[in-house]
Amino acid sequence: MGAMMDFETLLKGSAEHHGHLCPGQVVGVRMAVLGCRLIGLDDPRSPAQIKKLVVYVEIDRCATDAIAYVTGVKLGRRSLKFVDNGIMAATFVNLETGRAYRIVSREAARDRVARYAPGISDPHRQQLLAYRAMPDDILFEVEEVAVDVPVHDLPGPSRFKAVCRKCGAVVRDKREVLLNGRILCRACAHGAYYRKIRAAMRNVA
Amino acid sequence: MCQSRDPKRFDERLRKVPVEEAVGTCLAHDITEIRPGEFKGPSFRRGHRIRTQDLCHLMRLGKRHLYVLNLDRDEVHEDDAVLELAAALAGPGVSFGGKPREGKLQLHATYAGLLKVRAEALVEFNLVPEVMCASLHDNVPVDRGQVIAGTRAIPLVIGRDALDQALDVARRHSPIFSVQAYVRRRARLIITGNEVYEGLIEDRFEAVVRRKLERFGVSLEETVILPDDAERIAGHLRRFMALDTDFVITTGGMSVDPDDVTRLAIRASGVDRMHYGAAALPGAMCLLAYKGDFPVIGIPACALYHPTTVFDVLLPRLLAGEKPDERDLARLCVGGLCSDCEVCRYPACAFGKAPS
Repeated sequence: MGAMMDFETLLKGSAEHHGHLCPGQVVGVRMAVLGCRLIGLDDPRSPAQIKKLVVYVEIDRCATDAIAYVTGVKLGRRSLKFVDNGIMAATFVNLETGRAYRIVSREAARDRVARYAPGISDPHRQQLLAYRAMPDDILFEVEEVAVDVPVHDLPGPSRFKAVCRKCGAVVRDKREVLLNGRILCRACAHGAYYRKIRAAMRNVA
Repeated sequence: MCQSRDPKRFDERLRKVPVEEAVGTCLAHDITEIRPGEFKGPSFRRGHRIRTQDLCHLMRLGKRHLYVLNLDRDEVHEDDAVLELAAALAGPGVSFGGKPREGKLQLHATYAGLLKVRAEALVEFNLVPEVMCASLHDNVPVDRGQVIAGTRAIPLVIGRDALDQALDVARRHSPIFSVQAYVRRRARLIITGNEVYEGLIEDRFEAVVRRKLERFGVSLEETVILPDDAERIAGHLRRFMALDTDFVITTGGMSVDPDDVTRLAIRASGVDRMHYGAAALPGAMCLLAYKGDFPVIGIPACALYHPTTVFDVLLPRLLAGEKPDERDLARLCVGGLCSDCEVCRYPACAFGKAPS
């Protein structure tokens, strides 16, 4: 069995993948390394372990990309779940053993950067260095949790399909809504995030 | 249900095999792994089909022999069977965990709404040998994630015939379980009574109604207090119906005293259908009326005293877009008597759980 790369190598790769090196990358890489260790995965990107891991991220900011990079989880593989809570937190689930840990980035850690990286005037650089040096329990709050990943959220082929009675869209994986006795897609049931400007595009080319 | 047509003893299916010969067979039991200070739990679950890559791991755990299951072609392991059962039972708004335990799975609501159960079909399902499913009642409100049913394949190994028979029942009557999302979200309230209108007593109805609506995320857009004047009440009802409202609630004036005119006012407002009286206590003098699809619900004054009344039973059905009629109100009779418990645990009690 292989092992996860060392922290600096992971951070370098994560920064390249994300586009820049930032404090969020440091926090995200550390969160992912800790999360994988807690659920007993030492090489999450390896073929032997990649199907055992699901990660729920609760924010769409820099750290999320770092977590995805280190763990290899992907939205399209259904191993990365985005729960839009606006909280710098992630939950690492070992599907095989059922073990799961939720790790939250402590807000109070921001106030302690000077202690872990003294004498640095540039706040960005100070955070980069301090978040590397802080012990896990200063940087993170960790709790063991139970996550019963529902069957419609598991990786693997779609098991469920429904057809929206209003727009005809095929809705996969139990995302349909029964409203007034009709099966609808979420957009038809609750409103869409977009506004239609023209009825339909013809001859795009 | 509980009887097996072809009962076979567990040990007939067990076979002891050397680990290196176990690839392709199914484990008959969980295998626990302990890594001191780090991990304790099952590394392999019962029913797991042994793969080549598992052999080293099993040997590291000290396993030289395993008990494995011998499954014939027409037999299905209980955990595989229950996944098929759950998938056939779960309609829109219902899902389940991906990891059965001992042939059992719990079904849960994927969003908040009104649970619908095809009860007769569920009975038919339970008449099939070797499977079972038990659920909450039809027409109860459920929250997102709430467990609404449990199903299981009873023997460790279930016959393909019995499984197919159960699946056939579930698919023919699909969906046996579904959740109707709430569609009515904006309410307006008319509080009636000369005593409140004239300020002789303080209104307490608005707080009661608001609390019950908030439980479902319904917004109370407007409240008016009116005297027992049928014409004025009817006028406000018509105004509310024309506004951005999904339903109107009236309180008081539902009994048979000469001053109880709310019922007359609702009729005068131009509703097409009116059902007065429900076979349930408290709240028997409740009224449901509709103008087209627009509902008006009249709550009698007893709702000020009792923590739970017919209003609590009917509200989620209205919110889910249903239009209960006089038969629905009559059907409440069995289970329609509130036990008036010292601490009200509704909806976790029998009140309003009419057999459907």
